Amino acid sequence: MSAATATAPVSPWQRAWGAYVRWSARNPALASLVPFVPLVVLWAAVAKSGLFPPVFFPGPLEVIQKFGTLMANGILPAYLEDSVVRLAAGTAVGLALGIPLGLIVGLSDRAHRVLWPVLLFFQAIGDIAWLPILLIWFGFGLTTMIFVIVYTVLFPVVLNTVLGVRSVPLELHRVALSLGASKARVVWEVVLPGALPNIMTGLRNGLGFGWRALIAAEIIVGTSGIGFLMFDARRAGSVVEIMLGMIVLGVLWYVVDSWVLAPIERATGERWGLVNR
Amino acid sequence: MKSLTIDHLQKTYFDPFAAKQVNAIRDISFSVAAGDFVSVVGPSGCGKTTMLNLIAGFLAPTAGEIRVDGHAVSGPGPDRGVVFQSFALFPWRTVLDNVAFGPKMRGVPKAKRHEIAREYLALAGLAYAADRYPNELSGGMQQRVGVVRALANEPDVLLMDEPFASVDAQTRMTLQEELTRIWAQRRPTVLFITHDVNEAVFLSNRVIVLSHGSVLEDIAIDLLRPRAWDALIEDAAFKALAARVLQQVRAA
Repeated sequence: MSAATATAPVSPWQRAWGAYVRWSARNPALASLVPFVPLVVLWAAVAKSGLFPPVFFPGPLEVIQKFGTLMANGILPAYLEDSVVRLAAGTAVGLALGIPLGLIVGLSDRAHRVLWPVLLFFQAIGDIAWLPILLIWFGFGLTTMIFVIVYTVLFPVVLNTVLGVRSVPLELHRVALSLGASKARVVWEVVLPGALPNIMTGLRNGLGFGWRALIAAEIIVGTSGIGFLMFDARRAGSVVEIMLGMIVLGVLWYVVDSWVLAPIERATGERWGLVNR
Repeated sequence: MKSLTIDHLQKTYFDPFAAKQVNAIRDISFSVAAGDFVSVVGPSGCGKTTMLNLIAGFLAPTAGEIRVDGHAVSGPGPDRGVVFQSFALFPWRTVLDNVAFGPKMRGVPKAKRHEIAREYLALAGLAYAADRYPNELSGGMQQRVGVVRALANEPDVLLMDEPFASVDAQTRMTLQEELTRIWAQRRPTVLFITHDVNEAVFLSNRVIVLSHGSVLEDIAIDLLRPRAWDALIEDAAFKALAARVLQQVRAA
């Protein structure tokens, strides 16, 4: 029994785990790659085993080689740029429309009563369900793709902004008015920052859906972009290129999340204690 | 510092579920002299918070008038500062910018309003917390900021709605003593809502007992200032006044 009171010795496992935790705290970018190591190893092992013909299931090395050639001949950078610019433009328009709309619906009971059912109706006709009619109206071009992205980004932003606006405590409106703020000032100084964590959630969802909708639109509209690259590769029967496209999608989302969204969230809602980490 | 006059205030609202009119405030009249400290006590449901919301302008009265320095007021305004039970600090602003919010709405330039905010923070011994966010402070600290923010806007009348009800008992006593000290220094006109009889007697020059939406009793508190809990807690005059107010509240 007396042995139980002594501190247990640190096991080699605990020592290794401690070293890993300290290392990953110092190198967060590198540490985020670690979970992918077993995945890539497994992928390479399956490809190497010969279970599937290499044309159907190429390994990591082939994909990296393909990445090299497509970077060298400029196709991948050009397509990547097309996709990212479309997404950025569509998201910007979606935010510019969605946040004011969300503020109006969230602040005015009358607007809420009139617009909410309409919003829900159009939300149900999700993004690519619009493609058939858009292709007839606008043809196979940029307008069609931007429309789809704006549409996809708009609804999560509006719905979450409404939620955010309505979650700002009544006391904060009141105290601002009692300190001399006008109603317009209250919107700017109280409602908007109070709704920001929810607006960020809307943006996060909107970007995620928008990114998927863009790939779908590019596959169907098919002039350039990552979605087009993948679908074009299918025609040529190049599984390597399709896999490369899929990996690019994942990496790009990770970059958007960790370089754009997460820093904003850390500097706002998490800093203010409105969101638990 | 300006006076506050409540003249035949009434508030009736329709309860759609009970399908009848409810008289939250039947008929209330009283006034608070410039620089005075008056508390309103009463059992829950007696209409004290409704009354404060009417005076602050958050609700519109059914009848009657509220006058600040003789002028009728309607709607919220910077002449009536409010301190809430829930503190109501802006989570996205630092302590300094919370306190500077009122001057900012008046268009005071940044350097000047920060100077004002620092001066008032120092008054409550909060200078060191200026750059923190509210969620980094304890409840007692947050409410100190809430009080300081209202004072820094230099309102004619300070309305306090059970401001110390959600902090622990020890902190509450400290906050009460600090409030009497700051009040003695700055002499704002204060209307203080509470359900705590000892708190009302300790802080005030007058205690008004509210019952079913009307004034039941108006009791003068002639205890000497400065007041401290260590001395008053065993003081016979304090105990007698508290007992008298408590009797009225329980009868209410």
